[in-house]
Amino acid sequence: MLTIAGLNKTYPNHKRGLEAVNVTFAPGVTAIIGPSGAGKTTLLRSINRLITPESGSVRLGDQEIRTANAKALRKIRHRIGMIFQDYNLIEELAAIDNVLHGCLGGKTWLAGILGHYTAAEQARAYELLAEVGLADFATQRCADLSGGQKQRVGIARALMQSPEVILCDEPIASLDPASTQAVMTLLGDLAKRGIMIIVNLHQVDIARQYADHIVGVNQGRIVFDGPTAGLNDAALAAIYAKEAVAEDA
Amino acid sequence: MIAKPLTLTRAPQPQKRPLSRAQRATRLLLLALTAISGYALVTMHTDHLNWATAFASFWHNLQLMIVHPHLGQDSWAALLQAFANTIALAMLTTLLGAFLAFFLALATARPFAPKPLALAMRSLMAVIRAIPTILWVLVYATVIGLGNEAAVVGLTFHSVAYLTKAFAEAMETVPPAKLAALRATGCGFWLTVRHALWPEVRASLLSWTFIRFEINFTNAVAVGAAAGTGGIGYNLFMASAFNFDFQEVGLIVYLLLAFAICLEFVAVRMRKHLTH
Repeated sequence: MLTIAGLNKTYPNHKRGLEAVNVTFAPGVTAIIGPSGAGKTTLLRSINRLITPESGSVRLGDQEIRTANAKALRKIRHRIGMIFQDYNLIEELAAIDNVLHGCLGGKTWLAGILGHYTAAEQARAYELLAEVGLADFATQRCADLSGGQKQRVGIARALMQSPEVILCDEPIASLDPASTQAVMTLLGDLAKRGIMIIVNLHQVDIARQYADHIVGVNQGRIVFDGPTAGLNDAALAAIYAKEAVAEDA
Repeated sequence: MIAKPLTLTRAPQPQKRPLSRAQRATRLLLLALTAISGYALVTMHTDHLNWATAFASFWHNLQLMIVHPHLGQDSWAALLQAFANTIALAMLTTLLGAFLAFFLALATARPFAPKPLALAMRSLMAVIRAIPTILWVLVYATVIGLGNEAAVVGLTFHSVAYLTKAFAEAMETVPPAKLAALRATGCGFWLTVRHALWPEVRASLLSWTFIRFEINFTNAVAVGAAAGTGGIGYNLFMASAFNFDFQEVGLIVYLLLAFAICLEFVAVRMRKHLTH
């Protein structure tokens, strides 16, 4: 279980990112939806502390993340995979090298610096690339891959960490419908294997189609937290309240 | 409805724009330089000068240099050894400079360094770069004495400042999100530098280092002549200013040219290799 309690974040420009956020993530696919600037990314990045909240608590199992020291934080991060809208792969490297990056956090410092990967790690990386349908692209430079392929390399990199949780920051925002379906189906399959998937989405219909649980965010506050079946028009109106007002105006 | 007939209007005459302050300053400076040059030419003492002899002598020396390059007081072995010394000096100072600059660039590039540190580093490097390499060599020559040591320290000093700026700017082109992606996997600072930053900037850093090697080679020749630190520059200086042996000067110039062409060839190949 991943538990967030009383989380607050204010940006240096005094913009409120999160306000007294309380939410518990359970295994399965949880979609975080909300208007642009509502705090979805802030919430997601507060989980692995790519953004540091000022107060509150983020716990993965029995480990506190918000106040963890640097060494503990690296260990916790290794348990949490992350995929990004812009993939954030090292484009100059081959797909297999990017996937292998996923195991760096679990290696000794020297082995990591030397880029020494064991035969088992290399075999696992090839296996994961095959699993995401990119076995034939292992040695291809990431710069030469399509958006959908890059995102699948990103997923393989996250899986290389053998994560308990995968955070997905708008993973389909740059993808065409076919790639969107492929990526979301893959995330659904991973959830069935017991990996907790937390995904930021802009598309409500996709969230309804693939998520088991929905968290609605508006102006840094949680305004909906419940099973997908409970996401009715009233809940949507609450989640997108400001956006609706802005559009009316 | 009747359409209005088209009437041709005369385009307004372009007005002469007044000169900007910078343009006025540039023109004033050029005018002053022309006046000084003119004054120098008019007041030059040319009584003892026979123009015909001077031009004939100049043409003769040019011919000796270009058409009849030959060994003078130095043997081939001595010249090649001096040449190798100059190459070694350029290579050593470039490699040392690049190694130190990589770490200093991490303290200068915005994604890694806090703003005050980045600003302090940038300012310090700018001050070092503002003073020419030859002057740094002369400064160190007064501190540690004439010789290769002063050349190594002086050339390295300027190389570090030059490459730190170039490397930091290359590092700043890497999107911070890519570095964050590696940190998110549990990598610490040095692992992120090694696996996210280095592959992205490697080509650019090698390219800058090579450019600096070319500059350092030229500087190594110059300091050999100007600061007496040895190498082919010293032989060139002795052959021209002391022995007036223009045949040897020609030979040394040809050697330098051949090496410059080789460097350019390697640079082109290297850039092709790095960008494909």
